[in-house]
Amino acid sequence: MLKKLTQFYYPETIEEACKYLGKKGEKTAVVAGGTSEALRQDNSIEALVDISRVKELNYIRKDSSIYRIGATTPIQDIYKCSDLKGPSGEILKYTAGKIGSTLLRNSITAGGNLAAIFPWSDLPPVYLALDAEVVLRKGKPKRTVPVENLINERPNKFLGENEIIAEIAVPVYGKGTGTSFVKFAKTANDYSMITVATRVTLKSGKIEQARIALNAVTISPVRIKDAEKILEGQKPTSDLIAEAAAKTAEKAEIRKDFRASKEYKREVLEVLVRRSLEEALEMAKK
Amino acid sequence: MKLNTRINGKDYCLEINPNAMLVDVLRQAGLKSVKFGCGEGSCGCCAVMIDGKPRNSCITLAGLAEGAEILTVEGMGNPQEPHALQQAFVDSGSTQCGYCNPGSLIAAKALLDSNPNPSAEDVKDALDGNLCRCTGYVKRIDAVLSAAKAMKKSKKTSRGKK
Repeated sequence: MLKKLTQFYYPETIEEACKYLGKKGEKTAVVAGGTSEALRQDNSIEALVDISRVKELNYIRKDSSIYRIGATTPIQDIYKCSDLKGPSGEILKYTAGKIGSTLLRNSITAGGNLAAIFPWSDLPPVYLALDAEVVLRKGKPKRTVPVENLINERPNKFLGENEIIAEIAVPVYGKGTGTSFVKFAKTANDYSMITVATRVTLKSGKIEQARIALNAVTISPVRIKDAEKILEGQKPTSDLIAEAAAKTAEKAEIRKDFRASKEYKREVLEVLVRRSLEEALEMAKK
Repeated sequence: MKLNTRINGKDYCLEINPNAMLVDVLRQAGLKSVKFGCGEGSCGCCAVMIDGKPRNSCITLAGLAEGAEILTVEGMGNPQEPHALQQAFVDSGSTQCGYCNPGSLIAAKALLDSNPNPSAEDVKDALDGNLCRCTGYVKRIDAVLSAAKAMKKSKKTSRGKK
């Protein structure tokens, strides 16, 4: 593991970090909490750029209608943050609390969940359900893109060589929106077997916007848009929700792993999506 | 490469392999309270405090601890002068095989540092990353709650003396 690693860089600003990453003739990688880097079987990396001391990357704040979460913010800080409220804040806090344990949550970061996406990463489906955006920095220049683009094109291909994830920008939803996150695992500490994140936004009695995002059961975080379409523009009924749940189970490309058969997971997935949508709807109606 | 770090209030400059994990580096530096368990961040035996936050040292690259303040159980207390948590673990029977204790104590200390009046739920939440096969967890929760009480009492009496 990391057999070629010879040194660490400890930048204190984003620009400094990007400079190290862009260094010619040296294969570098970013590290913050380090949990995925520690287990990575990559023997080509020669230097690690530790961005955990870059103060301008560690924060949770709200400006106008967006929660801004710095990339290196430990998810324990999200879990314990009393300023995160409403449909977006609650699902972020709840999900962060469901990840690993206190010891792991102090290491795992909000941006790390996106930089190294694993099937068991729990936050990416939540980011998808909330239509979150990600702020990328290449020194001073920055670009803001939907999290969905970053996930679909894979971070290691999407990010430039000297580009880092700087912030996750999550829209704040108000009354009429409900969210729900459901995690299914063998034990509270085990890797997720199925994760479901949903959001429903109501407008004059009808579902204006619906999001159904999955991970763990699929190989990568993904939205099931065919199922979302069933809901959008319709009056929410239990039949409609059941139909969307069935569609999700039908369309999801189930990942193979030793924990359970695909058939079993498909069966459970349908139930979890239904419950999640019901829960989100309940919140939206309040 | 060199690692400059402060462990239990003492400065260290250690020669390390760049890909070494913190658990191994600490043990080689003589801090044997830090235990290697699962090696993948599941069991919590290796927990140490890094800049005030309890983390798994088995999946933390030692290089990430450059310039950091590390606390292990050696820095909490010793048999002659145990920390209130250590005493409570002994008194309550939370120490049986003992292998999980260093990690549990570090996680418990982190809790009491930020919350001197925890509820049983708070204790469960804070120690959720520290597996223990001997005690069935109940004794450990009792221990942390009684240590919190003992610490408050001793604070009051020491203030009274002044």
